[in-house]
Amino acid sequence: MKHTWAMAIDLDRCTGCGACGVACTAENNVAVVGEAEVGKGRSMHWLRIARYWDGEYPEATAVYLPVPCMQCERAPCETVCPVYATYHNEDGLNAMVYNRCVGTRYCANNCPYSVRVFNWFDHIWEKPLDEQLSPDLTVRSRGVMEKCTFCIQRIRRAKETAAEEGRQIRDGEVVPACVQTCPPGALLFGDLADPHSEITRKMKDPRRFRLMEHLGTEPRVVYLKRQKGAGR
Amino acid sequence: MSGVVVVGLFEGIEKAAEAGNALRALPLAEDRITTLSSVPLPDGSVSRDTRQIRFPRVTLIGWFAGALAGLALALGTYLLYPLVTGGKAIVSVPPTLIITYEVAMLGALIGTIVAGFLEMGLMRFRTKLIHDPRIHEGKILLCASVEPGSQAEQVITTMKAAGGIDVRSEEGEL
Amino acid sequence: MNGASSQGGGNHLARTDQGELYRELSRSNLPATRRWYAVVGLLLLVTLWGVGCFVYMMKVGMGVTGLNRPVMWGALIASFVFWIGLSHSGTLISAILRITNATWRAPILRGAEAMTAFALMVGGLFPLIHIGRNWRFYYMLPYPNSRQLWPNLRSPLMWDAVAINTYLLGSLTFLYFGMIPDLAIARDHATGWRKRFYTVLALGFRGSHNEWRRYHVASTIFAILIIPVAVSVHSIVGWDFAMAKVPGWHSTIFAPYFVTGAIFSGLAGVVLVMAALRKVYRLENALTTVQFENLGKLLCTMSLLWGYFYFAEFLTVWYNRNPEEWEVYRSYGGHYLPLWLSMVVCNFVVPFPLLCMRRVRRSIPALCFVSFLVVVGMYAERFLIVVTSLARRNDPFIWRNYFPTWVEFSILAGALAMFLLLYTVFAKLFPIMAVSDIQERLFQTTDRIVGGTTVESIARPEAAGEGEHG
Repeated sequence: MKHTWAMAIDLDRCTGCGACGVACTAENNVAVVGEAEVGKGRSMHWLRIARYWDGEYPEATAVYLPVPCMQCERAPCETVCPVYATYHNEDGLNAMVYNRCVGTRYCANNCPYSVRVFNWFDHIWEKPLDEQLSPDLTVRSRGVMEKCTFCIQRIRRAKETAAEEGRQIRDGEVVPACVQTCPPGALLFGDLADPHSEITRKMKDPRRFRLMEHLGTEPRVVYLKRQKGAGR
Repeated sequence: MSGVVVVGLFEGIEKAAEAGNALRALPLAEDRITTLSSVPLPDGSVSRDTRQIRFPRVTLIGWFAGALAGLALALGTYLLYPLVTGGKAIVSVPPTLIITYEVAMLGALIGTIVAGFLEMGLMRFRTKLIHDPRIHEGKILLCASVEPGSQAEQVITTMKAAGGIDVRSEEGEL
Repeated sequence: MNGASSQGGGNHLARTDQGELYRELSRSNLPATRRWYAVVGLLLLVTLWGVGCFVYMMKVGMGVTGLNRPVMWGALIASFVFWIGLSHSGTLISAILRITNATWRAPILRGAEAMTAFALMVGGLFPLIHIGRNWRFYYMLPYPNSRQLWPNLRSPLMWDAVAINTYLLGSLTFLYFGMIPDLAIARDHATGWRKRFYTVLALGFRGSHNEWRRYHVASTIFAILIIPVAVSVHSIVGWDFAMAKVPGWHSTIFAPYFVTGAIFSGLAGVVLVMAALRKVYRLENALTTVQFENLGKLLCTMSLLWGYFYFAEFLTVWYNRNPEEWEVYRSYGGHYLPLWLSMVVCNFVVPFPLLCMRRVRRSIPALCFVSFLVVVGMYAERFLIVVTSLARRNDPFIWRNYFPTWVEFSILAGALAMFLLLYTVFAKLFPIMAVSDIQERLFQTTDRIVGGTTVESIARPEAAGEGEHG
């Protein structure tokens, strides 16, 4: 069965706590580069919580925008890679092939959402921290691009389990790390090819919008607008 | 031209032209007379180039061969490794045009080099070639390819009469 | 010597002592002095330092540069574009001036062509230097492999690879082919190991009538072929940026804008290199104010063209105020003001009015000053294009400035040193002045008495492949 994985982010529920980013880092063997390197703009977060200030002091409020990889249907990053290290797979995901990447960083330049991160150095997990690494993923060497994959290892695991048990993947069975962790439940993940899934219903929500839609990238991540009401 | 060549140095283009005319009056065929000079002389001033210049055709052949190679490269890589990128067609036309054009120009360049070198007669390292370094002093070496014997004698006499310096008969290729 | 023609005097070559002329023009080929070895030694040192820093960067990671997210391309890519741009010098001068029969080109031909070849070699290294996993660069080559993987020819970087290689082969051929008659002259004057060296390289060229005729045809064909290749190469380099969804990069004007900028910087480079050669090897008789004045006129035109293209681009963004692009332009008045001012002042505001003045064009020191400004201004332009658009791109949350580190500066210095080193060694071993072209031009020039005065008259060179005109 063909899948069309998508994500919906409810900005009404997002508190900007950042738990999703931490979960993603833990799940995907993402390096923690330290304060100095983050200060230079080299954080390795696959999912960033962009924070914007709305209004002026003392009426200023913070707006939080979790930005994962949009897994664009017409991903600008895919066309410019000279070695096919990133391409569109059958599930409609933007796949990243670490050991093919030569590190030209053109894909990062072409991503309007700037979701791609680069391994500026080799990363060492000192003992015993190396025991926290997930065996489902590689540890990337220096010079390689990486980005959010919608936790493709969990998608694969679910596919294998479902195939073993001779059934389809159930709605809610595949849960990326960020979706699993979000305390207020702002993140939703599912299969748009399944007409009964919760995400298919969420796609009809009148609050929905896509980030930078005018660029024609056709992202698979949909945001639900924050309501303005009493106390907000 | 090969075999016996009678050569003579002449001071300046006017003297060389007179000698050339004298040789043609002998008669000696136009395609047996040529010059060696350190500056290119206008065609017909002393000798005339009778053979057609053919290698530019190879430029065109090279261009088409290169275009075909470029097309094969682009189409080949698309079709042998069909991955969807950015929603674009597997056979993407504009990049194919660019690659085809570039390799076509490469083919034209290589064709010109190879055919040009061959037609100019360069890289004949093993053959003995007629040459005189004194042409770099402002002199022109007039060369006549002749049958050994009476024709060679005639030509030597004619060149000497026209003011040729160090007129001699040499073995070698022109 | 040559008999007086009916028009009043023999040609200028007949009046020259060709041996003396050769000795003067080939001064750079004299055995190396201690000063030459010192210069080469210094250049080699700087080159090796640059190489060492590159190896360090390769072993430790790209993090030793100042690059970050979002500025993933920085000084190394700006240098890449800059050096490929400089390589358009030889193409313009040799090819276009050859086709248009501009007779003043003869003394600068070789120097400009050599500059093209070496600037391309240096520029072509940067794509290998700036990638994250340099040791896997061969993934970009289309070779059959057991995993049946091929490169993606939709990527402008692959167009770069094909185009730059074509241009490199073309310009090396152009350079070598143009040198063959000069190598033959050098062979006939040389002794010892140089004679063997030039004998091999001259390929047996002797100056026979048939050789000269075919040589002219081939030179013209090369010139005609190399011009579209050069235009396409820098258009493709410009398309590295124009194909991207980066505000400030995604502009249709980039292809002609980059080609114009390349020719502009290439001309300035030629002025500097030829002025240096003239000084060091005392070539004042060959490289006269005629050459420099004409280069100055071309430089003036290109400065105006550059200003026109830049204004056209600026105008469309300013008028439209598209928010994404406007943020990039706003930074020109903010953090990137010094860079933007350097670019505009060094490329147009100072050079154009100065070059309009004949006094400046005829003065070699003044022209060198202007050319140096242009070279600096063009580097600033490349840096501005690459860095500012990335630094102020779509998502304001990740905006960040960029400044190169000592590693990048070292690699840039090493690249410059490598170019100068290649050039210096080339000038020592090969004829840096196109002796045969200069001789040909002297041969075609006669003095003609017109009424009460004597003027120089240049015979129309033989049209390639046309035979007699009847």
